[in-house]
Amino acid sequence: MADAASTLNAVTLRSGESAPGELEQEVIRLFTALRHPLLRYLVGIGLGIHDAEEIGQEGFLALFQHLRAGKSRCNLRGWVFRVAHNLGLKRRERVRESGELPAVADPSPNPEDQFSSAQRNMRILAVVGALPEQDRACLDLRAEGLRYREIAQVLGMSLGAVSMSLARSVARIARAAER
Amino acid sequence: MEREEFHLSDQELLQSADGELSTRAGGRIEAHLAACWSCRARLRSLEDAATDFARIRQQTLDSQLPPALLADEGPRAMLKAQLAATSGGEASSRWSSWILAAACLGAIGISTALYLTIGVARSGAVVFAAPRANLTPGAVVLLSKEQVCSTERANNRAVPVSLRRRVFEAYGISNADARQYEVDYLITPALGGSDDIRNLWPQSYSSTVWNAHIKDALEEHLRAMVCAGDLDLETAQRDLAQDWIAAYKKYFHTDRPVEIRQ
Repeated sequence: MADAASTLNAVTLRSGESAPGELEQEVIRLFTALRHPLLRYLVGIGLGIHDAEEIGQEGFLALFQHLRAGKSRCNLRGWVFRVAHNLGLKRRERVRESGELPAVADPSPNPEDQFSSAQRNMRILAVVGALPEQDRACLDLRAEGLRYREIAQVLGMSLGAVSMSLARSVARIARAAER
Repeated sequence: MEREEFHLSDQELLQSADGELSTRAGGRIEAHLAACWSCRARLRSLEDAATDFARIRQQTLDSQLPPALLADEGPRAMLKAQLAATSGGEASSRWSSWILAAACLGAIGISTALYLTIGVARSGAVVFAAPRANLTPGAVVLLSKEQVCSTERANNRAVPVSLRRRVFEAYGISNADARQYEVDYLITPALGGSDDIRNLWPQSYSSTVWNAHIKDALEEHLRAMVCAGDLDLETAQRDLAQDWIAAYKKYFHTDRPVEIRQ
């Protein structure tokens, strides 16, 4: 993430007009830094890999338009995740309505696994699988390295609500792990 | 549980672990932690839990995101092409974006699988001997020629019922009429076509001249040419996507389908 962070800073701190082609390069740099976390996040919320990839492309095209229109460069990582999150929810809804199975791994353990050596992991997965969607999204975004203010931006929550949600979820995981 | 006036909350502990506190608040927490064994133990437990979650999540997602799909080169080339098309204004067709992407991919020798959508400018499509370009532009899994040719030519995979239904809906075909059509791949999977709705179209059984058998023959012929090195894969895919009937005429040097021996 160090490389990603330095790229982000480089992109975020830039200001003013871009020379032709420079903006594209900037978006490509950001894409390279954020593609994996974004794909993981989208697959994590229940999209298939190909849908996730398409939404990634769509999100960065939107970012390009956003920057080209001279709009705010503040917190671009949060901006991209927010756009992708919203597109992802819409796509997931459409896929579900069409009757196709979402390509998401079921986080609930099956009965056989309950007795395997991975019991602790299974308990954690069970707790996480039972979390409300927004709490889960906070956890996922935190795991992808987003700061609280970025998570708040992506999910449209207050900073305090993000902090409370994360503390509540992590405490639940800790209790499950210790059982 | 804990007495709040003497112990830190889970929220404060996690904020501290995540570096989310102001300098002043962080200093206060540090001072408390230095003197409180119980809070240090809880902090460790929360940190362990968060780390465990991140690890398990990573493992789960790794199984869904194989390294080949995470390779950046292809998607980056695709985005570059789309940005170039966007910058270039309205004259750039989606197909030219794809060509550019394919060129970039060729240049960097990408051979891993990546789904790309092919957009093709078409007009005057024959309903439904040929698909509608806006609904079925064609979509491929990016494979190298070697990957395409190393696999046995098999019958196309059956299209799932739900996907068939979506194709019929997109083309405005009612349930009653659906029996008159089969859902066919525009670019055959034997040439890297994907099982994506944008690569599927309803082909009428009643097309007596340019029917599915004729298209199969073209696909066989194109695959043989690609594998013999007489035609590049991208050209074969593009020609199929753009106008398969024109492609048939071009590659078989005829204006009519040649007789097919069953």
